[in-house]
Amino acid sequence: MPDVAADSAASASGGALVPFVPDTEIAVVYPLHHGLKPPITRVSISWARGNNLRVSLLRNPPYNSDSDGEIGGKVVEVNLDSGAADVRESVQWRRIAYGSVTPFALLQSRKNSASSLSKLQSSPSPFHLDWWEHVMEYSKDIKELLGNPKSNYDPLIEDPKEVLKKGEEPTSLKAAWELMEMFYADKLCQSWLPERLVDWLADYDCLLSGDQPTVHSKLVEFQGTLVTLQVIEDDPKYWEVISSALAIGWLEIVVKLLRLHGSYQLDQLGHRETENGLVETVAVLISMMPRFRPELKNGKLGECFEAKPDFMKAWEKWREQITKLDSSAFWVPCHHRQTREGLKNLIQIMLGNTKILCTATAHWIELYISHFLFIRPFTAGLEGMYNLAQKCVQMKPMSSPHKLLRLIIGIIGENTEVVLAECSRGFGPWMVAHAIELLTARSDQADILLHKEHDDIGGISMEELHRLVYAQVLTSHFLTWQIAPVYLTSCMKQGMSLLEFLLYRQPAQHNQLLLKNLEICRLYELDHVSSNIMKVYEILKRILDFIYQMNTPSLVSLSSANSLPVAFVDSET
Amino acid sequence: MAITNLPKTPKIHRIPQPKFIDAIRWLSSPSPFQKSFITSLYDSDFHTPSLEIHSLDPSKTLTTALFSWTPPSRISSLKSTPSLFAASTFLGSLHIFKTPEEMSVLGNDMSDLGSKTSDMEPVVSVVGREFHVGSVGGVDLMEGGSECVSVGEDGRVNLVDERGDFRRVFDGNGLVSYSAVKWASPSEFVTGGCGFGLQWWDLRKSGAAVAQFKGNWDHGTTSGIIHSIDIHPSRKHTCLAGGSSGTVFAWDLRRQQEPMILSSIGSSDTMTHPLSESEVWEVQYDCYTKSLNSNISSSRILPAMISSEDGILAVIGQGEEPTELLAEPCAINSFDIDCQNPSDVICSLEWESIVILSRP
Repeated sequence: MPDVAADSAASASGGALVPFVPDTEIAVVYPLHHGLKPPITRVSISWARGNNLRVSLLRNPPYNSDSDGEIGGKVVEVNLDSGAADVRESVQWRRIAYGSVTPFALLQSRKNSASSLSKLQSSPSPFHLDWWEHVMEYSKDIKELLGNPKSNYDPLIEDPKEVLKKGEEPTSLKAAWELMEMFYADKLCQSWLPERLVDWLADYDCLLSGDQPTVHSKLVEFQGTLVTLQVIEDDPKYWEVISSALAIGWLEIVVKLLRLHGSYQLDQLGHRETENGLVETVAVLISMMPRFRPELKNGKLGECFEAKPDFMKAWEKWREQITKLDSSAFWVPCHHRQTREGLKNLIQIMLGNTKILCTATAHWIELYISHFLFIRPFTAGLEGMYNLAQKCVQMKPMSSPHKLLRLIIGIIGENTEVVLAECSRGFGPWMVAHAIELLTARSDQADILLHKEHDDIGGISMEELHRLVYAQVLTSHFLTWQIAPVYLTSCMKQGMSLLEFLLYRQPAQHNQLLLKNLEICRLYELDHVSSNIMKVYEILKRILDFIYQMNTPSLVSLSSANSLPVAFVDSET
Repeated sequence: MAITNLPKTPKIHRIPQPKFIDAIRWLSSPSPFQKSFITSLYDSDFHTPSLEIHSLDPSKTLTTALFSWTPPSRISSLKSTPSLFAASTFLGSLHIFKTPEEMSVLGNDMSDLGSKTSDMEPVVSVVGREFHVGSVGGVDLMEGGSECVSVGEDGRVNLVDERGDFRRVFDGNGLVSYSAVKWASPSEFVTGGCGFGLQWWDLRKSGAAVAQFKGNWDHGTTSGIIHSIDIHPSRKHTCLAGGSSGTVFAWDLRRQQEPMILSSIGSSDTMTHPLSESEVWEVQYDCYTKSLNSNISSSRILPAMISSEDGILAVIGQGEEPTELLAEPCAINSFDIDCQNPSDVICSLEWESIVILSRP
């Protein structure tokens, strides 16, 4: 049955199959800075590289050539992008594009030599690294490029009231890359994926606080008020922030905050001894929390257990201690109500009280992480993780999920197509073209899916398609087009023909650029292309020389834009 | 394996830039701790070229430019002497500036500099179709002298004096084109261009070049253009040239028909495989590297540094194994050896970055 609402929507959009809603109804005006004296008699417009329009403006050829010192015309390029706001971004983007060439090329050459070697040898040599280890090396190089790990600067005098350490601003691109790496490439962290996710959230929780508050944003807010607070433990915010931080496993922050408690002050220690004892006991218990992981980074709290039986034993013991504290007699003489309730709340979190965990966390991913930490520390396997995620999303629904969260759902849902689509939608062609290497690192299923040739897209595979798309993006900027051949030549079916096409279309307004084009032809053994390019240039050069000799003033002076130097007006003489 | 004789590796500092770097030169500075350099940049987002002077402190961090100037188009060639520097453009103009030291700015209190960029203006600008039509291929300033020579793709050779007047030495009418030039003496200079051609000019004998060298080893399939020329002050009869197909050779006026090939694809008589197979963008004599061979006859070629399109920065000597200083994944378009402290080399990379090498 056709939906009535859909029908009316279709008629409203003028019968279009896909309703097109332009972003803005207001016409955008792009000023042209050509600096020519009017009148301008001819204007020609064509597409240039990327989102640029090339506008050629020509004046009437002057009849008295010597008196008019004006140039006969100009070629200017107009950028149709949104404007100067993202210049820094584009600089950063080019840096990533440059830096990823070497790791990508190295991995491709290793792949080629590995496949030729496997044809020769029947059994893999024991001296050879497993393929996923090569991919991890590649991933490490790329990660370095996307931003260095938080700089661990240690000030000589630590500010006791600085709860959150300031580091490098994390990017969602790197966050997404790390997700792909931990789930698809890194074989070593497969046994402790949940704890790996805890680390990931600790680094990137701040990225999620766009439209909805996060534990991170709560902490930032509290940090701001911290200096002005007189009696910190009277503030309900203090206890709220502590329980939130504990729920997602930021133990060192919890302990640091707890030790700001007023009962630690020397003048109060005397009459608040029991209270202080309770606070300290909870702090010690928190710092002793058993973690099911091989190691912890410097400064992080908890006790690591790699073997499951050891961890289970420690976990049971720890829970026992908490239960014992919960039912201890020391709570009665503790007269500070907020402290008593706050600490009890922390104990409930450590005992895995679902309701309290749910109120302590903001995003579903935070709730998810708290489940791993305090309710189901033995969760293993993607299926279990997926079911748990579904449950958490239901408990904390979101109107517009963040692109990173959509990616996580795709990954733990084990749907390669969704993961590719989310990568492409949220992080662009660079991400897809490079992350495919991670996707196929250990999974044969993804490998088959990505390398299957599809007739409907010209017989190329998904992998090739995404590389071609990225190469297309690279060619749209005159500083990055030289990188495109690296990606094009890794495309078996369409790559070389597109490379030839690209080389023919390169402008060469001066010798150096031409020589750089010819160098690419030489590298990829495209002698016929280079001889054709040279022929074209030779003809252009002769035309120009002719104009120079005739000294015709109708020669169009060129802008520094990328254009062939052959725009000139027919001289009527 | 004995590794004691291995040379120590140079310290390498990479400084990414937000713009494309067309050329880069050191400037002389009064203090060894406060080095400065001039660089011509091209902003690809706004299609604007610029010429900027930066200072470099010992921590090798770059702050805002000390001085900046906007040329009429992109810079095609940049040369510096202790007192002056000259820049030529793709639109055929030439601009000469006094160095900051000469303007006695750097010698004064530097504290107010560095926080903001000051404008600088050329002392001489030559513009117009009478001067050059099309791109100026190369310029050179005479050391301590007053004249600047410029050569262009239009085949013109011009001399510009300190007042901004120029005189034509030769007009090739577009039938030849020049891409590099270097002074040999106050009255002689060498030009280079297509077909691995070199021309020796003497201002006392006008009209044509006094000596010519025509390269004959190009194979028809590749280009053969000289991109850079250098002449050592102590060997003014020998000219070092670098160009297409990884070719680096020396041309001795006393043996004009026998060029000494230091590196090339086609040559079978060189003992090692060619250092580079692509364009050699820049050559400079490297006075820091001492020749291993004790035979210091005047016909011997001194060690030279080259940079190439395939990302090699290396020192080559006659009959010696070349020393690679850098092997980059992208082109090294220009470099400069600091004449005050020749262990320091500054390079500009295709991928929008500057590399500074401090050799041990």
